[in-house]
Amino acid sequence: MIAAAALHKRFGGVVAVDDISFEAKDGAITAVLGPNGAGKTTALRIVSGLVAPDRGSVTIDGIDPRVSPSAARQRLGILPDARGLYARLTARENVRYFGELCGMAGMALERRIAELFEMLELGVLADRPVAGFSQGERMKVAIARAVVHGPMNVVLDEPTNGLDVLSVRALRGFIRGLKERGHAVLFSSHVMHEVAALCDSIVVVAGGRVVASGTTDQLREQTAKDSLEEAFVALTATAPDVSSLEVP
Amino acid sequence: MRNGPGLVLAVAVKELRDGVRDRRSMVSLLVFPLVGPVLVSLMLSTVVERATADRPIRLPVVGAARAPGLVQHLEQSGITVIDGPEDPVSAVRSGNADAVVIIEDGYAEAMRQGKSPDVELVVDDAREESRPTVRRVSQALASYARTLGALRLLARGVTPDAAEGVAVHEVDLSTPESRSAVLLNFVPMFVLLAAFVGGMHLASDMTAGERERGSLEPLLLTPARRRHLVAGKWLAATVFAAFTVMMTLACTALALSRVPLHRFGMAASLAPRDLLLVLVTVLPLTPLTAALELFVASFARTVKEAQIYLSLFMFAPMLPAIYLSIEPIKPGLLLSAVPVIGHQALLSALVRGEVASPSCFLVAAVSSLALALLAVAATAALFRSERIVFGR
Repeated sequence: MIAAAALHKRFGGVVAVDDISFEAKDGAITAVLGPNGAGKTTALRIVSGLVAPDRGSVTIDGIDPRVSPSAARQRLGILPDARGLYARLTARENVRYFGELCGMAGMALERRIAELFEMLELGVLADRPVAGFSQGERMKVAIARAVVHGPMNVVLDEPTNGLDVLSVRALRGFIRGLKERGHAVLFSSHVMHEVAALCDSIVVVAGGRVVASGTTDQLREQTAKDSLEEAFVALTATAPDVSSLEVP
Repeated sequence: MRNGPGLVLAVAVKELRDGVRDRRSMVSLLVFPLVGPVLVSLMLSTVVERATADRPIRLPVVGAARAPGLVQHLEQSGITVIDGPEDPVSAVRSGNADAVVIIEDGYAEAMRQGKSPDVELVVDDAREESRPTVRRVSQALASYARTLGALRLLARGVTPDAAEGVAVHEVDLSTPESRSAVLLNFVPMFVLLAAFVGGMHLASDMTAGERERGSLEPLLLTPARRRHLVAGKWLAATVFAAFTVMMTLACTALALSRVPLHRFGMAASLAPRDLLLVLVTVLPLTPLTAALELFVASFARTVKEAQIYLSLFMFAPMLPAIYLSIEPIKPGLLLSAVPVIGHQALLSALVRGEVASPSCFLVAAVSSLALALLAVAATAALFRSERIVFGR
């Protein structure tokens, strides 16, 4: 489980995250939904421990990543905003390297890689250099790399960005699989229908603040709109004035 | 499960594999060892050839028939007299001849009357490569003039000693080793430079390149500790630098063995023991160059920017090298502890045929390694900073 409470982060004169709190429970998919520049990536970077919050706290299964970063990351699989792969290495070598960095080795690691490649349908590409891969193929390798150590908590920063319909469907299937096996999945997105189809709970973020949170139905009720898209527009467009809509 | 050393090794193996597959890394790894020795041997060959004293000289003389005595003296001094060109001035200016001697029309007549006839020596003093020839020709001419003068004094009943106030004899104290030292000083400079060049591209690729391609953030999100990641990268860059040093030394030794130094009164080349000592001196420097390059490159946002920083950084070893090739310093314990300059002093002493005490080599190695560890720790600390990680 991932819990973030009252996060605040300022870069120079710009407040990137003003007041963001959320929980991603085990066996559930939680989305951080918001327009570009809302503070989603910064919030996720605070969760990963790469960025220190000015205020607020984060725990991963009860562990504070600022206190014991290695233990926290062992329980976290993160697909960050930057998803660079090593172009001269093959897909398998890329994933194997990260497995080694997570302390894995030998047959256990090789079996895990084979399992992930089968799940993500990367089999035929496994031993080709990543340099020639398409966007979707790179994304699959990056996801395999992020979860190679089988972490209970998975954080995905805009995982569907730049993917075609088929890749998005494959990704959705993979995320549902994680949920079924009891993982806590937290992902950020600015695409409403993707969130509606997948998520158990949604945290709507705008201007660095949480403007609403709850299930799809709850959000629709709050804004009195029929679709999530309209609810989203209503929530984010009038962000400063809708704090009364926040679900406690 | 992997422990700390296992993690470091995993990072090093990955970076080496990545580096070996990178064409640009490999080019800088393999080309430098070849460029250095080619330059050195070219330089040595030309210097040796120019310095050679007993090379036969072909000297164009205009009007040779007028002065058979002079021509005979020149021939005895090892100078082959050939017919002079139509236009001596342009022959010298164009470089076709190093020097041309012109014997004037009235030479024979003046000789008969016991006067001093004019002999012109046309040279271009700005031409470095013709200087040895010019010096030998003017020495031969001067000695002919002295002989002639002495004979005339004798004919008048005066001892020739009267005309010579002081008799100067040159005693050359240079040993074959010290003479070759001047030339061989270039060898350690190249080998030392190899320690800087070898890991340079890899170091910038592993830091600035990793950030530029967006793989730094995922890397830092693994449970691996910063110091293990940086230590692995350091190990990989050190392997590249050490490999380049060994290749450069091997290629240079091979090139030197093909230059016939011994024929010109110089020490044959670097003996196997000397080569080993060069290696013992320079190899312990590679962990430090690798660590410093990683540190410097970590500040750059792109590989290109990193390479600009690192090429400036490369001037560091060149300046003391140039100074030491002019003004050799005797290596002591204190100097040996100063990286690069201490190594330079040890190397140039080695080339002069002196071997510093083993403790100097040890001090140089230990101080390099200690500073390297410090630089690795500093780089690991950099990667804890948000500014460095996200390149802000």
